[in-house]
Amino acid sequence: MDRKRNLLLAVLLFMGFLAGCSGNENSAQAEKTEDGKVVVDFWTFWGSETRRPIIEKIIANFNESQDDIHVKHTFLPWGDIWTKNLASVAAGNPADVIINDINTVSQRAENQQVEDLSQYIDESFEKQFYPHLWETVVYQDKTYAVPFNTDTRLLFYNKAAFKEAGLDPEAPPQTWEELEEYAKKLDVKTGNQYERIGFYPLWGSIGASSWMTNADDGKGFIENGKLAIDTPRKAEALHWLLGWKERLGEKTVQTYQAEFGSEQSNPFIAGKVAMWVDIGTFYTQIRDYGQDLEFGVAPLPSFDEDSGHWAEGGGFVAEIPKGADHPEEAMEFIKYLTGPEGQKYWAMKNFDNVANIEAAEAVASELTGDEQMVYQATVENLQQTKMFPVPVEYPDYHSRINPVVDNILLGKISPEEGLKKAESDVSKLKRE
Amino acid sequence: MKTTETIRQPESAYLHEPAAASKRSKLSKKTRDTLTGYLFISPWLVGFFGLTLGPLLFSLFASFTDYNITSKMNFVGFQNYRTMFTLDDLFWTSLANTLYYVAFSVPLTTAGAILLALLLNQKLKGMKVFRTIYYLPSILSGVAVYFLWMQLLSPSTGLVNTVLAWVGIEGPAWLFDPEWTKPALLLMKMWSVGGGMLLYLASLQGVSKEMYEAAELDGAGLWQRLRYITLPMISPIIFFDVITSTIGAFQIFQEAYVMTESGSGGPANSLLFYNLHMWNNAFKVFDMGYASAMAWLLFIIVMILTVINLKLGKRWVYYEGGDRK
Repeated sequence: MDRKRNLLLAVLLFMGFLAGCSGNENSAQAEKTEDGKVVVDFWTFWGSETRRPIIEKIIANFNESQDDIHVKHTFLPWGDIWTKNLASVAAGNPADVIINDINTVSQRAENQQVEDLSQYIDESFEKQFYPHLWETVVYQDKTYAVPFNTDTRLLFYNKAAFKEAGLDPEAPPQTWEELEEYAKKLDVKTGNQYERIGFYPLWGSIGASSWMTNADDGKGFIENGKLAIDTPRKAEALHWLLGWKERLGEKTVQTYQAEFGSEQSNPFIAGKVAMWVDIGTFYTQIRDYGQDLEFGVAPLPSFDEDSGHWAEGGGFVAEIPKGADHPEEAMEFIKYLTGPEGQKYWAMKNFDNVANIEAAEAVASELTGDEQMVYQATVENLQQTKMFPVPVEYPDYHSRINPVVDNILLGKISPEEGLKKAESDVSKLKRE
Repeated sequence: MKTTETIRQPESAYLHEPAAASKRSKLSKKTRDTLTGYLFISPWLVGFFGLTLGPLLFSLFASFTDYNITSKMNFVGFQNYRTMFTLDDLFWTSLANTLYYVAFSVPLTTAGAILLALLLNQKLKGMKVFRTIYYLPSILSGVAVYFLWMQLLSPSTGLVNTVLAWVGIEGPAWLFDPEWTKPALLLMKMWSVGGGMLLYLASLQGVSKEMYEAAELDGAGLWQRLRYITLPMISPIIFFDVITSTIGAFQIFQEAYVMTESGSGGPANSLLFYNLHMWNNAFKVFDMGYASAMAWLLFIIVMILTVINLKLGKRWVYYEGGDRK
């Protein structure tokens, strides 16, 4: 009796276990809605209180206009979304549309993680987007994604501080030299303590590599497959960065940096730093936390009078993971998402730079006041913004350059030696 | 129990097929018991073969290929292992960082836990409160703790440096200075030795008082009692703790992933641990074959160290009532 009961129990347990394993099968994404529409599963990492309603409104607008397609939004946290996407592509059951990083499209194309979209795209479609963004989605003459949003870096400056320091608030610094000169004038010091720092190039939304490319006529670390890490201009940029650190002192830099945590205490908004590099959406922080701040925006200062005001850009694309069930319907949605209507809504509500030229220009002209000033500046700045997509031959090159740059800025190795080492380290990574 | 059941069985069973019934039950009793047993553990077996051993063997195979999850899986022989030793500088950096961490964290946390347990083993009023206080950090876990420590270790406004400043020491930049990042992690680890402390505390209370009394009568001092009674008596737990914490220390990943800027292992790769480098290769560059090879090498390293530990353990671990062999 006992044995029988045991056996029964064990069998039940085992069945239960199996049932538990396979339980998901039925509830897996419904392919169709009740009224027969094709369901397009759309993955994003936009789950915040501000962004989620915006993207969901765009989806709702699209769904209303469709008789055969219904887009379902799935939010996955940043970071999680990439590994989950990868696993689902490998398992052959991916989303239909996903928002992914703009600089690694060719990696995913090379590794067959995304669908080729060329058949859905013609020249007039391509023409809607900023060319520097479009370049990133083309790999070996085929198109694998559609640019969605982007960003660019501007110099925000405190006009009141400019007046106080006897500088013309309508004439922001144009070159690195002027930037330094202005910064010194804007410094306010009591004893050894800085009350206000004019400028520090590594604060805000910019890093050493951006300044290096700004100096080097917009040339990245890898240009057309050739390494351009160890160049005189890039070394000069590093010397320049070290100069700033030396002037302010390690301690001052660190003390300030430690206070950057929360938005309320952003040192530019609090008036503790007079000039600050950031992306366009930084304006929303000024709007929310710095009502009385009188500020202006300008392109990044150039290396010298003859070179350009190069800024670095990033962004995201919409793409169809390899093996998606409904690529055609997915593409219909992508066209709306990246079309003038969807893009304009996103840009207006998020104050974000979008990839669609028509939408971006419409937003720039519709906004008013400070909003208009900043947005217009970002749109114009896209002309001198460079993207640095990761080449497939060197998928991991950042991991070799960043630590060397860290060491250079810590004074452990000279810029010349460091760049030489970085270039040789990266060259070892090359894949055929 | 069994006899009564046999007696209670309806006689008809015996009447119809007495010989066959007894024979079958004799033969099948064992097999049926075995079967039942296997069925009971089947969820675990399925889990082990399907979710542990299967993937394990798959990764061993993948380590000899250029597997990238989505498009490639060509056999490349020992190429991945060759790359590791000859081309990938970061492999050596990450291995060195990890060994550094293991070499310091294991002795420090073990000694710290024992010391704490000894202190908390005193018979004083309110000791329970102290035990609770020192154990508390180890129930807090993961990311929350890392964020807490990132604030504590903040160079100019963090509590650690503020306290150091009171006694006139200018604290280092901790997580921002490559020289101090690993010590910073060790400091954080030391804070949560409470978990190990609890193990030691339990085993300390199992050491019989007669031994201490006898030793005291013989004139043994505090140190001698510690050295010749306490430590040998708790040595099995020390041994267990050393082995598990060595393995655990080799697995360090989250700390570096969470506490460094965008999970890079910076500054200057000082927190690029083996597993972080492996993770980067697997999920950032999609070089799953290479990452698998790294995983297997780590497995071998940990295996060798564990075997050495087991061998050495025989020399100093004392099992009461057991042979030393």
